Amino acid sequence: MHVEEFRIAQFGTRLGTRLEGERARARLEAILRSLPEEGQVRLCLDGLEVLSTSFADELVGKAYQSVVDGGFGDRTMVLDTPALELAEGIDVKLVQRKLAMLCLHAGRWRLVGFHTPALSETLGLILEKRCTTARELADELGLQISACVNRVARLADLRLIRRRKIGMKGPQDIYEIHSILKG
Amino acid sequence: MVTGASRLTIETIDDVVERTLVSGTTSVDLRDVRFVDPYALLLLVLLALEVRERGSSVRFDWPQTTAVRSWMRAMGFFAHAGAMPTSPAAAKIGAAFQPIANIGDEAGVGRVVDGFYHRLAERYPMTESSRRTLTAILIELFQNIPHHGNATGDVTDLHGIAAMQDYEDSIFVAIADRGVGLRGSLALRPGYEGITDAAAVDTILRDGISRFSDVGRGGELQRIVGVVRSWDGAFALRSGSALLSFDERGGDVYDVPTFPGVQLAIRIPLRRFDTEMVDP
Repeated sequence: MHVEEFRIAQFGTRLGTRLEGERARARLEAILRSLPEEGQVRLCLDGLEVLSTSFADELVGKAYQSVVDGGFGDRTMVLDTPALELAEGIDVKLVQRKLAMLCLHAGRWRLVGFHTPALSETLGLILEKRCTTARELADELGLQISACVNRVARLADLRLIRRRKIGMKGPQDIYEIHSILKG
Repeated sequence: MVTGASRLTIETIDDVVERTLVSGTTSVDLRDVRFVDPYALLLLVLLALEVRERGSSVRFDWPQTTAVRSWMRAMGFFAHAGAMPTSPAAAKIGAAFQPIANIGDEAGVGRVVDGFYHRLAERYPMTESSRRTLTAILIELFQNIPHHGNATGDVTDLHGIAAMQDYEDSIFVAIADRGVGLRGSLALRPGYEGITDAAAVDTILRDGISRFSDVGRGGELQRIVGVVRSWDGAFALRSGSALLSFDERGGDVYDVPTFPGVQLAIRIPLRRFDTEMVDP
């Protein structure tokens, strides 16, 4: 999988206004479009001193909304921050937009934005396994299969995992579930 | 007409606005004023401009106390208000922490924020967290002027200005403009056309609603209010005929004489700069 790093500090260290965020988004979207299918942008906050909520929404919130809505095909976006408080503006705006994004901090992946403990738990197991099925997840999490399928569908809708159809069982599609993180 | 107040502050400046714009007085006597806070200073600038724009012939007698007049001059008050003090006073630049800065278009906001950032960084040993939070607040507040001040397209002179002063126990930031105000901006959103000033202040600050229907817009002022509360600070926002004001003892929305635009103040206890600030 192709992963392209996008350093937000290229636009300044104290950011910024919506206008600045809008200009930066044009660059980000061009990179997203240039990626191969299933490519990924890793937004890097290293080198930033301040990231306002307005800039965060204009650059990250709006671009990520397009990613989740399918505007960039199967491409995905994740976050990498040296300090969680730097990502607060992004977190706030993702909550407002009811989106969630994977964020790497101190060597550990977590969710920022709008999420629940149940989604985090399920996603954590998928990241650990890298490739799994709803049946396997349901068994390990001690869930009814229908509850697990719902969680997986929600994670897929948020572009936090990938699903590949591998067959059918009655009227139900059977999916193989993949982590979006590079192995 | 003599103002009764010896201090021009958030609590008293509306008496001057009332007498100047509503009572039809021809003279405002501020000679006995011994203290002016940055919020009152900015409102005085805008008041002087408003009086001139209305073609009124109100005469201001500026404070006689040398220290006050000197501070007002060092803050750039007389230059911004297009007024001259009744007698000259030497400007002690050192007494003015951050003189009045113009906030014009959005492209200039970063430069103004940098100026405030450096003033704070030079004088106060803020933690990185404090600096980040405070700078992010200034970015949001400053850009609100070009974003919302002329939302209707009718305003010819927004006159966005900001200033900052440090005191023994606190930092005081004030921001003001002569734009359409919160009601003028929010009323552009379908469903909010007939909203009052007080309801607009309440809707924007408490509910986080803005004139934009995009779900990612709005909520910044609401969050800033939360941060200021968490710092045990004080906050005041005046728009049209409504003033929301609170400090660590509580607060409310008050009726004030109608005045164009938005005028806003934040006071943060200095003790917050020695510790990690708490975000909401």
